[in-house]
Amino acid sequence: MNYLFKKIRIINPFQNLDEIADLWIKDGVIVKIAKEISTTDNDIEIIDSQTLVASPGFFDMHVHFRDPGFEYKEDLRTGAESAANGGFTGVLIMPNTKPPIHDKTVVEYIKSNTQNSIVDIYISGTITQNQEGKLISNMLEMNEHGVKLFTDDGKCVMNSDVMRRAFDYATPKDLLISQHCEDIFLTEGFDMNESEISVKLGLKGYPSIAEEVILYRDILLSEYCGNRRYHAQHLSTQNSVDLIRYAKRKGLRVTCEVTPHHFSLTEDTLTSYNTNFKMNPPLRKANDLQAIKEGLKDGTIDVIATDHAPHSNLEKEVEFDKAPNGIIGLETAFGLSVTHLVEENWLTINQLIEKMSVNPRKILHLPPISFQENLQANITIFDPKEEWIVNKTNFKSKSQNTPFDNLKLKGKVKFIFNNNKVYKSSL
Amino acid sequence: MNKTISKPFLLSSEDLTKEDLELIFKRADFFQTSYKQGDKFDDLKGISVALAFFENSTRTKLSFEIAAKRLSAEIMSFTASTSSLAKGESLLDTLKTIEAMGVQIYVIRHGSSGAQQFLQRNTSGIILNAGDGKHEHPTQALLDNYTLLKHFGTIEGLKITIVGDIFHSRVARSNINVMRTLGAEVKFLGPGTLLPRRLNPWNVEQIDSIEDAIDWSDVILVLRLQKERMNSGLLPSNDEFSDFYGVTLKRISRRPGIVVMHPGPVNYGVELDYAISSYPNCLIQTQVTSGVFIRMAVLSLLSEYLKN
Repeated sequence: MNYLFKKIRIINPFQNLDEIADLWIKDGVIVKIAKEISTTDNDIEIIDSQTLVASPGFFDMHVHFRDPGFEYKEDLRTGAESAANGGFTGVLIMPNTKPPIHDKTVVEYIKSNTQNSIVDIYISGTITQNQEGKLISNMLEMNEHGVKLFTDDGKCVMNSDVMRRAFDYATPKDLLISQHCEDIFLTEGFDMNESEISVKLGLKGYPSIAEEVILYRDILLSEYCGNRRYHAQHLSTQNSVDLIRYAKRKGLRVTCEVTPHHFSLTEDTLTSYNTNFKMNPPLRKANDLQAIKEGLKDGTIDVIATDHAPHSNLEKEVEFDKAPNGIIGLETAFGLSVTHLVEENWLTINQLIEKMSVNPRKILHLPPISFQENLQANITIFDPKEEWIVNKTNFKSKSQNTPFDNLKLKGKVKFIFNNNKVYKSSL
Repeated sequence: MNKTISKPFLLSSEDLTKEDLELIFKRADFFQTSYKQGDKFDDLKGISVALAFFENSTRTKLSFEIAAKRLSAEIMSFTASTSSLAKGESLLDTLKTIEAMGVQIYVIRHGSSGAQQFLQRNTSGIILNAGDGKHEHPTQALLDNYTLLKHFGTIEGLKITIVGDIFHSRVARSNINVMRTLGAEVKFLGPGTLLPRRLNPWNVEQIDSIEDAIDWSDVILVLRLQKERMNSGLLPSNDEFSDFYGVTLKRISRRPGIVVMHPGPVNYGVELDYAISSYPNCLIQTQVTSGVFIRMAVLSLLSEYLKN
């Protein structure tokens, strides 16, 4: 491997870096960064890069790789390749596997099956044993084996006392507790957002308050338990953004993420009863999208994460109320973010890189990435202006449950470099 | 091709324009006036119709069956319990299977809202919605409005209150569109949990008491109250519902001539008292009779799309 990117724009918000230079990467290492690099090396691919940007590798802190237990939807290898194809050099996998990631055995299974991957696979563990919401998991043991975040994602820890115990138990190691905020009594049997549209379609509603009451409860609990680290997952409503803003203003160690689909799509799409618009939390209203974009702009929302949730066609091509929730997201995340956030002037490219690379690593206490000579490259290279049409048959995910097929997007990933490997995106 | 309705399927009341409605009523009227017991029309001769009922139904299924028979269709009929759905076959597979047998018109009832839309996307055949979950039941709305048209001569300007569990009713959803398209004024009456005020996509005005509803209305369309509403805690009890929302002979005597309708089957003693059944302007039986002619009309008009 030997690449010379000529006149590439290198952006790294962590280093306060934004400059145009030549970038030489050989055998996975940054050999040189300079205004003008000339080389006599014959075996080198020289790439005219005036439209390209080099960024610290993207990191998706919310993916479901379904392995172990549901390998027909995705496995650790296809999940990682899907991430690479979408420009991600690192991911955090969610623990709702079968068995769930709730002890060191499952953690070690995943670690041993992801060695030599170009994508760094980080692991989250459950808050409660079997995700039952009753007894807390072996968090300390899992942490010793590298688990960075604890969540019952897919499920919500409904019992306030259990959640309080999780915060207290996490205190000595200052572990990060995270939540899928959903009051399940308000959402039983839901199909979509609760609104005039759900009533019209005869579909069961998931009111926005189901997310907000849990989020507010958790903010209060995290504060009560001594200002614990708390990360709210895939927020979807206007009030949720306001609640995070309130928590941050108060100095609480609260962070949050949103998904690309929650700033790209509204519930209006549900009138087709297309199950690729069915997810949890559901697609919301225009005012929620607006609030999310404002929250991204003013820094209330720290991270863009995909909630990549593969399901087979067999499972999705059914009656709406029988379909499982979720869509895949790794391979459309960057294009959707550029199209809806950068092109609409909500974020600069630099700010987008913070949300997709710098902040998730910071929240998880992972070491930051630097552009520095003689350092191993962990880099995503993309063209922020290139237009392309999404074609799900080019995806590397095992599943194709996307509502974005055939959509025109702006912003396309080209390469990732990580762990001494290179991956050329084939989107 | 003869004149027909604007879409080659009937999934929702929103598929029907005012012209479509008039055409359907005219055709139904033709069948009603020219039909003699034992007659057959040949509108569906050589056409296979599947009656696929994935949810229990007695009257709607019989009504479609008689309608299709009177039009000389070839009919195959099945219900979920007798089909291979019980063996784990998917809905889409079932559709593909009966499609492969040469079926052209599918009359489908299904418990999932939107199931017929999902199926229509996956077939070149004609789908006729006979009720999908809590979404729509368009032929019910057609027969209700046809019944009103026969009774009043016009629907324009009629004041109609739909009473009961609007939130879970496909009959209400289909009727609101058809009634408004034909110029009626519609209001709702029901418990707060069965139509939350802020979740009113039709901007239908809501009335707060049964007495006010009766005073205002020319027609009361009473919905069936499902027993599950009590079990799921949306209502405290049957008794409280009938005390506050039940339509009784005593109550309607406030307004002589008021018309009472119900899609059936009725829970007497809950939403209607039994004495109503002998009230002359209770049109429940007429609705059933109208139903056959309306379904003949819709089948006949849709079959035009199969003729080149």
